[in-house]
Order: sequence, then structure tokens, then C-alpha cells
Amino acid sequence: MTPPVLAASGITKNYRLGKQSIPVLRGVDLAVQQGEILALLGASGAGKSTLLHVLGLLDQPTTGEILFDGEPVQNLPVRERARLRHSHTGFVFQFYHLIPELTALQNVMLAGMMTKSVLQYWAIRKQARREATEILEQVGLADRLKHRPSELSGGERQRVAIARALLARPRVILADEPTGNLDSTTADGVVDLMFRIQKERNLAFVLVTHDEDLAQRADRIVRMKDGVVLSSAAVR
Amino acid sequence: MYRLFLAIRYLLTRPINLLGMFGIALSVWALVVVVSLFSGFIATVEEHVHSASADVSVSNLPAWAKWSKLRAALADEPNLSAMAPRLVHYGLIHHPGKRPAPPPLPGRTALHGGDQPFLFVLGIHAAEEAAATGFGGWITDPDIAPELRVKDPQNALAPQHGVPSVLLGVERMRAEGLRPGDTLVLTTGVLRTAPDGTKSPEQVQIPLVIAGAYKTKHGGFDGNNLFVDIGTLQQELLEGDTDAVHEIAIAVRDESQLDETADRIARIVHRAVDRGDQMARGTAQTWREKNLAFLQSVEHQRALLKIVLIVIMVTAAFLMLATLSMMVTEKTSDIGILTAMGGTPLGVTSVFLACGLTITAVGVLLGIGVGSLTAIYLEEVRQALLWAFGIDLFPLQVYNLDRVPCHIDPLWLVQVAGMAFGTGFVVSVLPALRAALYDPLISLRGT
Repeated sequence: MTPPVLAASGITKNYRLGKQSIPVLRGVDLAVQQGEILALLGASGAGKSTLLHVLGLLDQPTTGEILFDGEPVQNLPVRERARLRHSHTGFVFQFYHLIPELTALQNVMLAGMMTKSVLQYWAIRKQARREATEILEQVGLADRLKHRPSELSGGERQRVAIARALLARPRVILADEPTGNLDSTTADGVVDLMFRIQKERNLAFVLVTHDEDLAQRADRIVRMKDGVVLSSAAVR
Repeated sequence: MYRLFLAIRYLLTRPINLLGMFGIALSVWALVVVVSLFSGFIATVEEHVHSASADVSVSNLPAWAKWSKLRAALADEPNLSAMAPRLVHYGLIHHPGKRPAPPPLPGRTALHGGDQPFLFVLGIHAAEEAAATGFGGWITDPDIAPELRVKDPQNALAPQHGVPSVLLGVERMRAEGLRPGDTLVLTTGVLRTAPDGTKSPEQVQIPLVIAGAYKTKHGGFDGNNLFVDIGTLQQELLEGDTDAVHEIAIAVRDESQLDETADRIARIVHRAVDRGDQMARGTAQTWREKNLAFLQSVEHQRALLKIVLIVIMVTAAFLMLATLSMMVTEKTSDIGILTAMGGTPLGVTSVFLACGLTITAVGVLLGIGVGSLTAIYLEEVRQALLWAFGIDLFPLQVYNLDRVPCHIDPLWLVQVAGMAFGTGFVVSVLPALRAALYDPLISLRGT
């Protein structure tokens, strides 16, 4: 049997507040299969975002294991974890986090520069530009390539962020409240786009949300409360 | 690649970074121009001082020192090419029947001392002096107007109609409207010994006739010294002692051996004037040692200016630190997303470090380039300012120069670039480290 593309086993995460240790995750187990959309649902403070950061190797668990394709990765060196973040996972955040000095195209191209030296990138610069343009065309921003984030709407910014997350051809997309900052019409469009691309590329998709309706569009809903997984159930 | 790409984009889209770059460029420019000017000035001053000095001067000789004995003793020095005796006295010069002009008020004295009547009187043997110093050139300098020149340079100090001759600095002669053939009186004093052994001061007045003008490159020397024949002073002040000597001017064959030669000459002189008490009497100084206080004062000014300008560079660096720190504070959101996209803390640090180093590099290159050009064309810049605004930043006549001196020392350029890069590196590392220590999750969670 093929191991899950991304899994968490016995994850705990404590934050220190002075001399106090605050538990945020209390023994979370989770597995995401290739091509699966998993919604992490819960109220604020349930530990969803923290779990997402741990799954994406942005944060270290206090105990437990993170497995990429069945291999534990949480104790890899910093540089190796950074490389895995780049190649294995793509992030989409609620507040887009586009770099305001760069155009939409440059923001997407930046993702392709992260692990390459100047000479390596120079050799593939035309191909990199073409790929970034194609992805932006896929997300419907063909006419917005040279616009800066300040010249784009919220929905367009999130589309740029999605394109940026997809450029390095990751196998997992980790989305933290991707529609939390958008109106409902725009949010629907962004979700449709994300799920379409997920199907086209057969990506594993972890979606953090507190929106029950949005979660219902996933394949499986994992409900969390106070750092614990309450339930994990298929939607249909 | 992303480090360089982002660093360039950050710099191009944030004009405030130009402030730090401009500050670094300005301080480097000032260090290059001012120090090159001073180096040129020091080299010129040294050349001028050397032109008016013997290679080695023996002075502080005791009263019993005899020229014949010292000449015989010094003849064995292998690096000595010529030597000349001098008597050194002082006095006031004035026109016959007139009182000497009072010295100028404090603060109103000309730099060269050319407008005050109190002078050093150098008694020399003209032919021997010409062999040991630049005396021959001083009285035939092309800058001396023909009507002020010595008529017979071979016998420059020969008496005229029985009156001893005197040579004055050309500027003094111009300033006082003196001409060859004019008469002057030198008023001075000596200690006379009475038959009972007591000593008392006695006024001496020596009538002199001007033989002509002399000109060294050292205006300070010309303004404060006059030349008379050594025999005149021996006769008038030393009761006809024709073997008396106060100072010896020496020319050497090999200037690279100057210090060692001066040391050997000092030992020879000590032995020659020793009275058996092993006291070291007389000193032998190179031209540089003899003018050390003057030369060091200029060096000291250069060193002080360096300190002031380096402080300006540090101030510019603080400006850069402020703009870089502000940038890091504003870019915390970028730090989070760069980490999420696969950046390491070191990589994110290097984005900001690259920004600082780029600002420094451009500032240093601009400063050195424009500074070197300014230094090379300093005289043209002076003339342009004089023409456009009537401002003379470097009045040449005050320093007896014909153009603004300038010497660009490549080693100094390297030192300035090194200092600027070092300072730029330090002020770039600090904000970069702050960026590296920033928790990317804070910006990813927040707005």
C-alpha cells in the first residue's frame, strides 16, 4: 500500500509563556492521501493553524513525527527542511503575503528562484518566466502579469498566491483560511479554482477553515478542538 | 538567486536607501579629496623646506668650536660631498637714520614673517655655501625680477665700496621697495667681555648695502633670514675670530643614507669639540629633523582631518543602519513568506545583508571615483569656483604655491574602501541578524 503523502503521528506542541508551558496540540494523528482534500475544521484556538505550520515544517513539534511519503522529516537539518518546504509543499495564506515591490509575475517567479543559484537560474530564466506566465494564465490573471499587489483585488491577490504555491509543482497544498479575507462571491471563485487545480494535478490539499460550508466541499473533514482531533469523517 | 533579486528590487523601490548610499559616497569622497590635498600639500611643503635646507645641519656648537678643526674631522665622512660654515646671529634691519618699524600687532603677521624687521642673520662663505646648499640657485632663481637680481652671482657677497653686502628675500625686497645698492643698517647686540672678566651687552650697528634678492621655495625661510658674508660677522661680533663657527651646512652624496650619515657626523662633531669631559656637544640633524616641528604640525592637521572625516563616515553608516533597520521592520511579512517558500534563516539574512553591501559598494565606488576625479582636477575646480563665485578656497600665494597640490595615494584609496566596506558590513549585519532572528510564524499568523 502507498504511504500517505503527508502524515502526522502523535504530534504535540507546547508554547512557553514565561515559566508556563501552554499545550496547543495534544497528540494529533493525521494522514493525507495523494489527491485528497482534507478540511481541518474548528473554532479559533483549536490548533488548526499550528498543526498546518507543523505539517509544513515551518514549526517544530514538541513531540511526534511528521512523515513525507512515510519518511520522518521533522528532525532533518534546517537546509533540508527548507528544501522540502519548497519542493513538497505549497502554502496559501489568508492574507496572501505577496511581496509588494514585485509584480504578479515576479511574485510567482520568485518561488522558482528559492533553491537556485544565480547561474542556475540564469540558464533557465526564459523557461521559468514561461512557466510562471502559464500558471498565472491558468488562474485567470493573464492580463494582470505586470500589476503589483496594490493594483490587484483581494481575489486576484489570492489567485497570485495560489499560482505561486503551485510553481514548484508541490504534491501537497497547505491552505490556511484561504478565503477568510474575501467576500463570499470572490471566495467561491477562489475555492472553485483551487479545487479545479487540485483535481487536475491530483494534489493532496489540507484546508484550514472554520467555515462549515467550505469544509463540506472537502473529501474529508477533521474536526479539532483544544488541540485534539475530535473526529475524522469522509464527506460523501 | 532570490537573495540578489529581492535585494535589488528592495533597493530600487525604496529611494530612502539612496540616503545611506549618498552618505557613504560623500564621506569617501571627502576622505579621498581632503587627504589627497593634504598629501600633496605635505609633499610640496617638504620639497620647499628641503630646498631651503642643507641635507644635514650641524648646530648647537660650543663657543670654542673651530671651523678648521671640524672641517678636518668631517673630511673623512664618506657620504659627505660638501660643507660650509655659518655664523648665526639676529638683528633688526632698517634704513639709515630711521628707527626700525614696529613689529605687527598679534594676529596681523604675514605667514612668512616678511613684514617684520627682526631677522636671523646668516653669515656664510658664498662659494662654500653654494657647494653645500642650493644657495647658487637661490640668487639666480628665474622668479627674481631682473632689477632685483645679484649682479655678480659668483661674488654675491663681495663688499661694495668697502661696505659689506647683504642678500634679502625677494618678497621683502618687493614689499619694502628695496633695490640692489640701497643701504641698510643691521642693529644687533653682543656680549662683550671687559678686562676684569665681566660681560655686558653692547649695541652693534653694521651698515650694509643690498647686493640683491634670493628666493628659495620656502617663503618662511626667505621672510626671516638674510645673508651676509661670514667675515663681516666674525669681524663685527667676534672680534675678528676667523675660525669661529656656529653651524655647518652639509651636502651628502647618497640621500638614502641621510639618517646614518647624520648619526656619524654627530659622533665626529662630539669628538672634535670634546674637552675631555665626554659631554656630547653639538647636534647633527637631517633637514627633516631640523624642520620636524613644522612638518609634524602639517601631518598632525592631516591626522585630525582624517579623524573628523572618519567620524562623518560613521555618521553616514548610522544613517544606513537606520534605513536598513526600518526596511527590516517593514519587511517582516516577507520574511515569513520567504521561509514558507523554502528560504532558510541564513538565506533571508543574506537578502538584507546584500542590500547593505550593495549600498556600501555603490557608495564606495561613487566616492572613490568622483573623489579621485575631484582630486585630479582640484586646481581646475578652484579656478572654476573663483571664476563663478569669486571664492578662493585655497589661496595659493599664502602657501607659496603655483597650483593646488594633490597626491592620490593608491594605498589610501584601498584603506578608505576597506574602512567603508568594514563599516558598511557591520551596519548591514546588524539589521540582517535581526531579520534572521525574527520568527516567520508571527508574520504568517498576523496581518
